[in-house]
Amino acid sequence: MARSPSTLRVVLTHLALVVITLLALYPVLWVVRMALSPSQQFSSDPTLLSGRLTLQNFVDVIWTFDGGYWLFGAQLFNSLVVATATAGVGLVLATSAGYALSRWAFPGRDAGMSAFLVTQMFPGVVMAIPLYILLDTLGLLDSLLGLALVYATTAVPFSVWTLKGYFDTIPVALEEAALLDGASRWTTFTKVILPLARPALAVTGLFSFMTAWNEYILAATLLGDPRAYTLPVVLQSYVDDYGASWGHFAAGAILVSIPVVALFFALQRYFVEGLTSGAVKG
Amino acid sequence: MKARRALQALLLCGVVVACLLAPTWAHAADLTVWHAYRGAEEAALREAVDRFAEGRGHRVRLVSVSFGVYDSKLETAIPRGNGPDLFIAAQGNLGKWRRMGLLVPAGDVSGEHRDPAIEALTEGGELWGQPLAFKSLMLIYDPEVIDTPPRTTDELLALSAALTEDGRYGLVYEAGTPFYHAPWMHGFGGAAIDEMGEPTLDTRAQVDALTFAAELAALMPTAPSADRVSSLYTEGRAAMIIDGPWRVADLGRRVAAAPLPLVSPTGEPARPYLTVEAAFVAARGQDPEAAAELASFLSGVDGAQIRQEVGRQAVTASRVVPSDPILQVQLDQAARSEPLPTDPEVQSAWEGLARALRQVLRGTVLPDRAMAAAQQHATVLRRPPPPPANPWPYGIVLALLALAGLGALGYRLRDPDLRRRMLVHAPDYLWIAPAGLAMVVLVVVPFLTGAAVALFAHHQGEWSFVGLAHFIDILLARDWPITSPMSFGFTLVVTVLWTVSNVTLHVVIGVALAMLLREPWVGLRGVWRALLILPWAVPNYITALIWRSLFDAQVGAINAILGLLLLRGEALQIDWFSSFATGFAANLTTNTWLGFPFMMVVTLGALQSIPRDLEEAAEVDGAGAWQRFRHVTWPMLMPALLPAMILGSVWTFNMFNVIYLVSAGEPDGSTEILISEAYRWAFSRGNRYGYAAAYAVLIFLVLLFYSRLANRLAGRKVL
Amino acid sequence: MAGVTLNGLYKRYGSTSVLEGIDLDVEDGEYIVLVGPSGCGKSTLLRCIAGLEEITAGTLEIGGRRVNDLSPRARNVAMVFQSYALYPHMTVRRNMGFALEVARRPKAEIREAVEDVAAMLDLVPLLDRLPGQLSGGQRQRVAMGRAIVRRPDVFLFDEPLSNLDASLRHHMRVELKHLHRRLQTTVFHVTHDQVEALTLADRIVVLHQGVVQQVGTPRELFDRPANTFVGTFIGSPSMALLPAVGAGGTVRIDGLEGELELPGEGAMTLGLRPTDIEVGRGPLRGQIEVIESLGAEALLHLDLGPDRKLVAQVPEPCQAQPGEVVSLLPRVVHRFHAETGERLP
Repeated sequence: MARSPSTLRVVLTHLALVVITLLALYPVLWVVRMALSPSQQFSSDPTLLSGRLTLQNFVDVIWTFDGGYWLFGAQLFNSLVVATATAGVGLVLATSAGYALSRWAFPGRDAGMSAFLVTQMFPGVVMAIPLYILLDTLGLLDSLLGLALVYATTAVPFSVWTLKGYFDTIPVALEEAALLDGASRWTTFTKVILPLARPALAVTGLFSFMTAWNEYILAATLLGDPRAYTLPVVLQSYVDDYGASWGHFAAGAILVSIPVVALFFALQRYFVEGLTSGAVKG
Repeated sequence: MKARRALQALLLCGVVVACLLAPTWAHAADLTVWHAYRGAEEAALREAVDRFAEGRGHRVRLVSVSFGVYDSKLETAIPRGNGPDLFIAAQGNLGKWRRMGLLVPAGDVSGEHRDPAIEALTEGGELWGQPLAFKSLMLIYDPEVIDTPPRTTDELLALSAALTEDGRYGLVYEAGTPFYHAPWMHGFGGAAIDEMGEPTLDTRAQVDALTFAAELAALMPTAPSADRVSSLYTEGRAAMIIDGPWRVADLGRRVAAAPLPLVSPTGEPARPYLTVEAAFVAARGQDPEAAAELASFLSGVDGAQIRQEVGRQAVTASRVVPSDPILQVQLDQAARSEPLPTDPEVQSAWEGLARALRQVLRGTVLPDRAMAAAQQHATVLRRPPPPPANPWPYGIVLALLALAGLGALGYRLRDPDLRRRMLVHAPDYLWIAPAGLAMVVLVVVPFLTGAAVALFAHHQGEWSFVGLAHFIDILLARDWPITSPMSFGFTLVVTVLWTVSNVTLHVVIGVALAMLLREPWVGLRGVWRALLILPWAVPNYITALIWRSLFDAQVGAINAILGLLLLRGEALQIDWFSSFATGFAANLTTNTWLGFPFMMVVTLGALQSIPRDLEEAAEVDGAGAWQRFRHVTWPMLMPALLPAMILGSVWTFNMFNVIYLVSAGEPDGSTEILISEAYRWAFSRGNRYGYAAAYAVLIFLVLLFYSRLANRLAGRKVL
Repeated sequence: MAGVTLNGLYKRYGSTSVLEGIDLDVEDGEYIVLVGPSGCGKSTLLRCIAGLEEITAGTLEIGGRRVNDLSPRARNVAMVFQSYALYPHMTVRRNMGFALEVARRPKAEIREAVEDVAAMLDLVPLLDRLPGQLSGGQRQRVAMGRAIVRRPDVFLFDEPLSNLDASLRHHMRVELKHLHRRLQTTVFHVTHDQVEALTLADRIVVLHQGVVQQVGTPRELFDRPANTFVGTFIGSPSMALLPAVGAGGTVRIDGLEGELELPGEGAMTLGLRPTDIEVGRGPLRGQIEVIESLGAEALLHLDLGPDRKLVAQVPEPCQAQPGEVVSLLPRVVHRFHAETGERLP
């Protein structure tokens, strides 16, 4: 833009950004304060800087043992394994499907596209018990693998949708060039298409990761052992009907959020691009 | 190089698979015990179990199961042989478990127990669990303020009134919850249900109890939450609270306890509900005899001693002498209490009673009217399931439909061109096969199974085929007038309002921010963007819980901030969950906060592909800022925003966490949306799985219709 | 190195026909340019040869071998796309060597092949850049290089110069010619630019509505266009077509005075090229409407009568003024059949 905006406009814009960002951050900062305060009760003080600060809540949450077995470590590890596996399985399932749907006009393609979307409309509430029975039948109950599979399928429709949109923007000529260069479909896919789809892969991978990282109802239903629990299940139990330990909950919430937030920041340069380039083309 | 990388990849895969499978073989134990204890009680249980294991050489595994899913997990796991050998729970669901065949009789009584431990665990002439501990409400008071606790309700009222002044309260308790109201209910001579399981909420005694509760509540902050009650006590601003021994550790101050007072008009003691925690031997366990032995040990003198010392439990074993005055009070209170009914029918009374309580405490309805409505509510909920239907016609229709579907498929396949194209594209199907197969197995099949349940009624552990009766009941609003929050129509309207207002706000805020953030002269654009995405990154159940607390009438920061902003000098006292408008606004605020970053990012992406010279051209043509946005930018954003909006509305439509955790449907279930309503039918209104499944099917159909409609309105296939 | 034979080649999409029986025999090492207006099927024909489109009927032979059902990679052809289709995430070096990489050739061999070609095309300093860091002309050369590295039997160029500006296009045209002379490989070059066709081709194939209109050397096409379509398509400014009637050794253009001495009886169409019209004498008269000066020559836009327009090219300096009426003499006249548009003998 050749013209520079008026000073008033610049000031007002930045002011608006500051106010909105503060609003957006307030609850987050609230959690941080609660985690650092020694009380387990919910404070009514709206200001964020007050009182004695302590890291005791974090210590309590991290230092949990089950007969000499470091529970928090195990649970963190479980969460990481499940979330990574979910992202992996989700990407494997979604990239090939998204690519096929983007490229080839096989009979039933539109129906397939709609079917993926339709599964987003299934209300999850009724599915926990049938899933339990299903996983039990498959012998996957109590295993992180079963959980990862279940999560991956809930993440797949969104991933397929995003990836298909993104693949649509990759010119077909590149694949034709690769075909003439003697590459097979598979080589073209892995060496040409996938490297180009990195932004979309990052976004969908993160989305799948988050699905698994944040879920607790299914995890609590499908896992039978505290050593197999994922972190959200544990976190939830800090504020269940037996009484609320808000300090522990907040400390746990921060510990649970850190990896996701870190991933968000690390991948955010891909976000704008990966999430929407496809959609723009419609 | 390549070989090494392949080897590394293989190794990584192997590790991941091993990790994924690990928990299945991590443990080998002879006995598995489930419990939901935390802290000291858990430690006590562990110590007692270790003591038992030492003596017998058994290996016992203690499994702490989340309280929220404890019940449903027992019900699914035990029948399939995945349950524990022994589980520890209150007696409240005994009736249901027994009918579902989850239990093995406990055998002989393990030593002597205080009343009414054995009675509460006996049904049909048999003992079903070994009693462990009593838990009930009692009067907890500050010994520095009160010398002698009130002995009658008249004294209680007088004392409470005398101690209540500028921000200090005489008595505070969670008045809006039936469990906390129960002492008055029983003390005035009422009961939630009679011996036949019929609700008895509109009796004279009930109305009197409610009137009395309203008098107490007039001296209290409005609808205090459990958090508020304990923090008031901790801050020294409440002299008395009514709560259980489980709260004592959180209070952080000296406490004294006394049994609840006598109800002055009747001369009867205020009798709280008593839960008797017991060890139940599960059916289909590996070693029921060992489990029974462990149950006896835990219940008997040795186990009880450990539980009292370490876990500070009020143990039922009568030969254990209480070690401190509070435990003694708990035991005294247990003697004048009402064991929590084991009849599942009592569940149907809770919801109506809770609503009546809150309405009266808010002062919006008179006690007799409220209790009449509660009675009506409970009567409808209690109604037996629809009569069994003949499954044959349904089977035939289903078979015909399946045949017709196959026929249509076969007919289409007769087209040689289609067959040829399918053959040509045969390899393409392999590419979607993994995802398709996974979706069918793990999404479609469970959903269809769940949906098929809609044709059955689940009543107290038994299933019966009822055909489409649930759908008819729901759609014709047979049980509730269409204007009642319980009706499908009402909830649907709320859900649509919820979805529309959310998506609108998401788009407006998201687009506005994106428009600001794309100006090249905005400093630190990356930082703003990163910070504004944060609400999306934090798990939504965490933020929902935080917002719920921020909206709390007394402890919540929102009221405090509004007070500051409006220069009142003190926090406002808005009870956000007392009216539909404010409750809905609280939900909406939370979900808007959660949802705008997604739209912002989508818009930022879309804006990148809109050349700015188009807007500049419009500016040259004399278009103002709004006109430029309206006629140039907005139409070009639409292709990207439309799919995001449709997807976003589907997500919002089913946004269970926010509704369930923030307003929880309050007031009176009016802010409930379809999915949370379905959840209530499945899990908190007598496990009407069939009815809930019918809701789920209807939700699905509404969304299906919506997506078709959206495509039609957009004039193209958006999604 | 191989010749290419097309025999009765048809391409249909459902009921729409794109190529209708193309017959063509191309010698090894020939430079063939396919021209025609957009939608004439020239790109489709190229893609059929490449194997990117399935052939509906007919045969395609490369080096005497029927390749209809072979995959693109088995045909050993290389293609330069209009958009160049360089892999954005690979360096120039990897882009050029990708075909060899896929064929699992030894690394040293790939390196050598790529560097040879890069030297030939002046690409050596660019080898480690990404396509996004190159200019349009450089990208074009990389695309060319990628095709050359493979040493294919046939090159397929799909409008390779259309994304370049005028001077660069001219430069690349010359370079293409050089390359072809060095490599001596069969080339199919699709363009809608007749200058490209005339300057590069050994033989030009003119396509219109899926049918070959004429195949021949540039000279043949220019001098003896097979029909009115080829006549107007080749040559710039294009040939004017005027309806006329012949009788007894003379021909008169409909609605005009003046007769031309030409054979033929009855209705016909005359084709007059601007370069073939002499101004200042002759049987036809026209009024000058506009004069376009091109530097060395000028174009006179002439109005001969109602609906009868003509352009004449004269050397500069040109003395004529707009509005002036001049006499005209067509030195060469092409005669076409009035209905079919075929060239009359």
